[in-house]
Amino acid sequence: MIDHYDWRGGREAMLRFGPDAGPLAIIAMPLFEEANRLRAFAVGLCRALAARGIASALPDLPGQGESLLPTEDIRFEDWRAAFAAAVVHVGRSVHGIALRSGAAVDVEAALVSRWRLAPIAGAAVLAELRRATTTGARARGETVAVKIDADTDAPILLAGNRIALSLFGALADDDAVAASIGVPLRTLRLANDPLPADRKVEGAPLWRRVEPGNDLPLAALLADDIAEWITRCGG
Amino acid sequence: MTGRTVLPNDTSIVETTVRGVLRDVLGLSDARAAELRSETPLFGAMPELDSMAVAGVLTEMEERLGILIDDDEVDGEMLETFGALVRFATDKVPQ
Repeated sequence: MIDHYDWRGGREAMLRFGPDAGPLAIIAMPLFEEANRLRAFAVGLCRALAARGIASALPDLPGQGESLLPTEDIRFEDWRAAFAAAVVHVGRSVHGIALRSGAAVDVEAALVSRWRLAPIAGAAVLAELRRATTTGARARGETVAVKIDADTDAPILLAGNRIALSLFGALADDDAVAASIGVPLRTLRLANDPLPADRKVEGAPLWRRVEPGNDLPLAALLADDIAEWITRCGG
Repeated sequence: MTGRTVLPNDTSIVETTVRGVLRDVLGLSDARAAELRSETPLFGAMPELDSMAVAGVLTEMEERLGILIDDDEVDGEMLETFGALVRFATDKVPQ
């Protein structure tokens, strides 16, 4: 079902899955290109959660995905405010599921628990965009500098995304994966990721795959983990 | 970056890792990934390996091998063949 939520900057779409009753979860999608690469996987995850009796919501962020707002008008705090508003719209007792940089977006939301897959901070998102802008050109023997003109408010073009200077700065300043104060936190990572996690699972990083793919067995495995986690957090 | 426990120091481990990174980022089949030879051409020869893919390959190599790659080090030569990319990565891994 396609639902919508209102936030102070407008209205965005939100997909809804699963039963009318039962535990509620909301997915915080990663930013920029990784959102496209994980879209099919996130839908698969929501369907797998529905099969386990968990209802879920998959909101669009302003300036991302199907949103009508231009990316260059977005500030980092807009994403956090919009996601917090989406959580309020979904319900009073909502469990957060953050994929990658979604962990940098859900920080202001009133969630009852946080479950994260391979979380990264805003600075890592920015580093990836900068790298995509420069390395391809360097491999072809060209040089490309990321131009930042602090004297104007002109957006910066990074890997096809027009990013306002304030968003660029806010992403750069977000240099550590957000803490989850006062709310239970569980972090999963892929087995080949050396960073610490509560659990490591076998699988390929779909968020890096050039052509978006899907991995339904991984979605089912993660849905099992999330269902058990939500039960442990009081449903 | 913290929490590194594995520091591969062996070319075959690096080669296996780089092969796995190319498979996962470019979406190659296991068979196609297994066919990568030292002389297999990469950038400019593999249609999947565009600018975004190069960035993904480098970042994924950094994470799995626990190395840091400066974007200024990236050039056509290190991406020319599978062997060149493995050599570049091997030189970066702490011995």
